[in-house]
Amino acid sequence: MLEGNAGGTRVSRRKFLVTSGAIGAAGLAGCSSGGDSSGGDSSGGDSSGGDSSSGDSSGESGMNTGLLNAEGSSTVYPISNRGSSYWNANAPPSDGEYWGSNDENTVPGWDELDTDMNLADYFASLYGFEPTGQRSDPPFPTTVSLSHSGTGCEAVRDGLVDIGNSSGPITAELGLSDSEAEEQFVDHVVGRDGQPVVVSSDIYDAGVTQLTGEQVRGIYQDEITNWSEVGGPDQEIFVIGRAEGSGTDTAFRLNMLGSADASMSGVNSRFGQNQQVAEAVSNNDGAIAYMALAFTSETVQPIAIEFDGTLYEPDRDAENTIFDSEYPLNRDLHMYTRITEDTPSGTDVQEGAFLNMFLTSFGQQVFVEQNNYIPLPTADIESEAAKLPDQA
Amino acid sequence: MTNTQVNATRDDVMRRLRGVRDFLTDAEPAALVTVGAMSIALISAFIAFLLASPLAIVPFALFVVTAGYGWLRHQGLTARTLTFATTVSTVLILLLITTFIVVESIPILQYESATVLGVSVPGLRMFTQARWDAVSPPIRYSMVPMIHGTVMVTAIATAVAAPLGVSAALFLSEIAPATVREVVKPGVEILAGIPSIVYGFIGFTILSPWAADQFRTTGQGSYLFVGIVVGLMALPTVVSVAEDALSSVPESMKSGSLAMGTTDWQTMISITIPAAFSGVSAAVLLGVGRAIGETMAATVMLRGVPKLTEPLYNAFYGQETLTSLVANNYGEADGLQMDALFAAGVILFVTVLFISIGSQYIEWRMRRKLGGEG
Repeated sequence: MLEGNAGGTRVSRRKFLVTSGAIGAAGLAGCSSGGDSSGGDSSGGDSSGGDSSSGDSSGESGMNTGLLNAEGSSTVYPISNRGSSYWNANAPPSDGEYWGSNDENTVPGWDELDTDMNLADYFASLYGFEPTGQRSDPPFPTTVSLSHSGTGCEAVRDGLVDIGNSSGPITAELGLSDSEAEEQFVDHVVGRDGQPVVVSSDIYDAGVTQLTGEQVRGIYQDEITNWSEVGGPDQEIFVIGRAEGSGTDTAFRLNMLGSADASMSGVNSRFGQNQQVAEAVSNNDGAIAYMALAFTSETVQPIAIEFDGTLYEPDRDAENTIFDSEYPLNRDLHMYTRITEDTPSGTDVQEGAFLNMFLTSFGQQVFVEQNNYIPLPTADIESEAAKLPDQA
Repeated sequence: MTNTQVNATRDDVMRRLRGVRDFLTDAEPAALVTVGAMSIALISAFIAFLLASPLAIVPFALFVVTAGYGWLRHQGLTARTLTFATTVSTVLILLLITTFIVVESIPILQYESATVLGVSVPGLRMFTQARWDAVSPPIRYSMVPMIHGTVMVTAIATAVAAPLGVSAALFLSEIAPATVREVVKPGVEILAGIPSIVYGFIGFTILSPWAADQFRTTGQGSYLFVGIVVGLMALPTVVSVAEDALSSVPESMKSGSLAMGTTDWQTMISITIPAAFSGVSAAVLLGVGRAIGETMAATVMLRGVPKLTEPLYNAFYGQETLTSLVANNYGEADGLQMDALFAAGVILFVTVLFISIGSQYIEWRMRRKLGGEG
């Protein structure tokens, strides 16, 4: 008992020292990270006063180093899971491939970070956690389970997990109004998923490289059944949709056809997975489909879509691209946290430390872009960062 | 009932009662107490399980302890009780599953009720119209397109598997030299072990695109090719079971026929096949059962859009079967849509039940007609 007490005091004192050190580190990071500096500075100012007076108590009760768990959508899973794997590996900065820099490799976005701490140590210490300095031993472990958007939202609502991953808005998944959702959950957007419209290569080669939103709607609602009606060859259109009622299906109906319960009477075939869609498009003549950007290829060509007079092209260098957040078929990828009595802001320091990793330039490139999702523009990153708790 | 029959029945009951009484007096009281405690513990554990009580572990632990004690001290009686308990639990598990899928499908039956002559019949609308749309109004969950799909696939699969399977079995059993039979029969049985996704994968990537190209259909997915693939999958079952039936026809019957001066072929069609008819029918019905329940190949090869083909006998477009409906939608479905999937499960269950009863009936009728033992 006595020993336990002594141990507790020692830990909290050390933690206090580390916390003060981390404030310094955060200050340095704030100076070097340019874009975020104004937000970083003001939050640093807010929290430093509180911390220095109550450092001990926060060390005893506030620092939960238990497991941080997340669950939900298979679309968000690659981002979330890769983040979790990186976090748990806690690679040292000398690694080069996963974290930091060495003679051969440097991770993307490293110049904004440039720390001598391990990966998870660095991000956790921003929120006052004690670094371990050990590879494979993060300050707190994380895990991500794979299920569905709706299941993830339910799990975070019921308090089963800390973070609920969802590819659709929680309002739709749980049937909540906007204000209800705002009262109960905080919506962290970590990236975007694009749903380009694709056609089979025979159609693309025959010159159909762009369609209007109205034409796509007509095709999916059985008003246009032959490619010749939209300037293509005389060929029946093989219309491919996604599993009825899935997040992808709902998003397409909502964004392209006008409402979440719009009719899709023109659909010839439905598939559950992107791989199946890609295979079916490349194996069949005259096919049209929509699917995740990652699965496009030579035989599965993304086409440009014109909405309200703006042409969104499948080319990253064009003026308006299908990667823009304005492109109607793009959807936000959410990680929801729940507002509780303990955390009225909705995001505790554990969640904040983990989510903040995705909002850095490093996180956006490694976890979002390398998984073939669309990274957030700078303005969105700033507004997302403002939802996180103050850094220590 | 005549008097003698009543008397016979009464005697029978009396004899049984006496048997039970003798058994009770013969057995050691200690053994009876152990077995009794074991049974009560097991029943309590089951009741606690039904109530989803976390305390179910307590009576179950008690059961394990008493069973262990009984095994050491009164092995004979304990073993009898345990084997009886396993039989009961098998039946019970089946009953629970059946009850569960029926209960789960009740909301959809209520939603899809239709009025006939002023009486509201639950679930009737699932069979009187053909619209399935779980998202855009009017929301309807008709089972007609899936039943149509299952019937199409099963019919085509049977048309493939039955003639091929039965004639191959006839060749193996009656014509082929023994060495050929010894090599080919196990080979055919190994074919039955190929996972259905392998067939489905070949169907999806090679057969279906080829068929779409050849028949100029809009995109891939046709009942015809799903039926052919499923028929090929059912073939090993048909061959194996039919061959067993044909070769179990007594040699004396065939020799008798040949002694009358018939040719081998005449013996086959007039003696061997009629004598083995029940077994051969059972083989075909087993194949049909496999075709109805086949999920993987149907799911990957069909279009997954529940609607009827036009005209109804058009097998060049393949929409959805009962099994592929469940496989395609279980992940995303919720609410009524999920209940509708359970309804599809109930329909499948009832169908397979009838096929199984049908095959039993054929067997019983053939046995009565042909007579003899076995």
